[in-house]
Amino acid sequence: MKPPSPPFRHTSQDAGLRLIAALGLLLYTVFIVVPVFMSLRSSFTDENPLKSGSNWIGFANYSEMLHDTQLRDSVVFTLLLALAVTVVANVLGLAFALLLDRTALSYRVLRTLAFLPQVVSGVIVGFVWKTILTQDGLLNTLLKSVHLVHDPVDWLGKPHLAQFSVGVVVAWVLSGFTTVVYLAALQNIPRELYDAGAIDGASTTQQFRMITVRMVAPATTISVTISLITVLKLYDVIQVLTSGGPANATQSTAQYIVKMAFTDDRFGYASSIAMFLLALSAVIALSVTSMLRRREVDL
Amino acid sequence: MFRRSAAIAGAAGLLLLAACSNSASSGGSAAGGKTTLTYLTFNTPSLTPAFWKDSIARAEKTVPGLTIKQVVAPSTDRDSYAKQLQASGQFPDLLQSITPSQYTDAGLLTPYDQSWVDANFLLPQGNAIKGKVYIPPTNSQIIPLVFYNKSLFAKAHVQPPTTWAQFLQVNATLKAAGITPLELGGNDPFAAAMPLTGALSADVLGKDPQWIQQRHAGKVKFADADVVTAATKMRTLVEKGYFEDGALNVSYADSIKNFNAGKAAMYPMGSWYLGSIPKDQWDNIGVFPWPTDDGKVVVPFAVGGSMAISAKAEDVKAATAFAKTWSLDPANLKALIEVDGAYPMLKNKTLDDYGVTVSPAFTDSYAYVTRTDAKVGAIGWATNDDALPGSLNNDLYAAAQALFNSSDVKGQMSKLDKSWDTATK
Repeated sequence: MKPPSPPFRHTSQDAGLRLIAALGLLLYTVFIVVPVFMSLRSSFTDENPLKSGSNWIGFANYSEMLHDTQLRDSVVFTLLLALAVTVVANVLGLAFALLLDRTALSYRVLRTLAFLPQVVSGVIVGFVWKTILTQDGLLNTLLKSVHLVHDPVDWLGKPHLAQFSVGVVVAWVLSGFTTVVYLAALQNIPRELYDAGAIDGASTTQQFRMITVRMVAPATTISVTISLITVLKLYDVIQVLTSGGPANATQSTAQYIVKMAFTDDRFGYASSIAMFLLALSAVIALSVTSMLRRREVDL
Repeated sequence: MFRRSAAIAGAAGLLLLAACSNSASSGGSAAGGKTTLTYLTFNTPSLTPAFWKDSIARAEKTVPGLTIKQVVAPSTDRDSYAKQLQASGQFPDLLQSITPSQYTDAGLLTPYDQSWVDANFLLPQGNAIKGKVYIPPTNSQIIPLVFYNKSLFAKAHVQPPTTWAQFLQVNATLKAAGITPLELGGNDPFAAAMPLTGALSADVLGKDPQWIQQRHAGKVKFADADVVTAATKMRTLVEKGYFEDGALNVSYADSIKNFNAGKAAMYPMGSWYLGSIPKDQWDNIGVFPWPTDDGKVVVPFAVGGSMAISAKAEDVKAATAFAKTWSLDPANLKALIEVDGAYPMLKNKTLDDYGVTVSPAFTDSYAYVTRTDAKVGAIGWATNDDALPGSLNNDLYAAAQALFNSSDVKGQMSKLDKSWDTATK
């Protein structure tokens, strides 16, 4: 017979934990919640960083957003980039994780290398890739040396190619993160499942589809959601790689917010765009998480 | 154990709050006859940390009791950083080479006394805003000049042009001779816009030097026929294939390397390129102003300068004394002249007084500054009343890049009008 559970007792350790939790909550409130509410308030004003005081202008900033073509273009680019990069980074991440799911020392070294793009600063990533992609850069030199192209490719000079190039670079950065997430998930799959599958005559493809994909579903939820959020607020890599050019073709919404706030001195308007981006990110993240969670149950 | 944890957590919380409250305090401080002032600077290949350390130390010595605390901007975009500091209550007491027009409406800067400016500078009103000088006009730039490779010109048997028609002919002849006529470095938006800056400054401001003021008053627009005609000149250069291949895929740094290596015959760039001409090319690189329709010399000009003084500085008198000493120190201008190609604007001084060694191209182009040629604000670069509002210079650069892929010149100019309206809201 199961012995009765001991009655809950408050210990000094519980009090310590509560204090730590309270401190965390305080920091979260001070650095996240309060700024969000300050930004929300600012979005209804004509606040200018150089002037003291501001006027309440109601929904004028939000109304202006509807007619702002530069904002529209930056949002469309950011959404397409988020979608494309999330798909590519997760497919690559899973592929790398499958390749690196070994215990030998060489694979452990390769795992570290796979995670490198994620730990390198976005500014450095931007500089390095700019060196690779410019006219006389590494990539064009390589392509010409193997006679794949006759003239250098305008990787950062044509609007669509620049958008593609930004996508490749950001997907490369995020693939480091997704690889680690999928690798951790793969290592938690019991080997017995594969053994049972093999006994039942399942092919490698069937094992991948019926066991691997299903067992990494929770990791997929995390990886996809974080990838989406990361790209939706992307600033540093693009700023260094293309400065949002050519002709604003690769301008992200985050870049546009910074431009409005600190170049046009329109804090209020920048805050309204930031609120919109926050809402957009929240809706997308919640929808995707909810959809993927349902998929986890179905699988 | 718990008490110790709680004490550590509490101390950490207090430290955090203390750090927050410190960071929210403003610039300088004064106590017991000693004054500490904050000074916003930025680093470039010519303005190195060592340059700042030495130049600050020299000026600091002349103001008893003054200590300068340097605040270094994380990039050369010191205006954005200054605004971030202002937004967080940390506006510096002294701000190096900012764009004063962005701060004067908010009353954040204090002007220099005009008699001191008149007594010490060649163009006392060179960067004045509504008649007041907020940054001593110590140096200037021409943006753009057209640099050319004398050997390649000789090879194609062409001479430096003075009119737009001659310029097109020179481009055509060079191209026919198998020489790339123009280097650009358009991956960096400001470099992409050099031909557009030249065309708009020379053709539009050259005919109406008050054009920017007229635009502020809503009497003219970028979509007006004369502006579109000037901007079309850049599109013409693109359509005729006079720029290097993949011009928007070449970085500014690479464009300097390319031009110095003789890969193109001409390079429209700000006069700061003078500092990047290798010594072995000094006799091979020449310079001419951006050509106009009738051959009249129009110099797109931007008078820069040293530092602005915050109106809220802890000790405006000490700040002004420091700023004046720093601004008149020839040693500070030496680095700017030699490495940044800046033209000195101090009165009663020759180049020899700065102890500099400069290229013939520097001496030739400095003549445009000292002569009586028509000088107009370099559009997108001027820091005086001709400064563009908000981020319009970035939009101008974007328009220049767009002209590589779009023949809709009027459409691009109309976008600038929309951006103007947004920036001036």
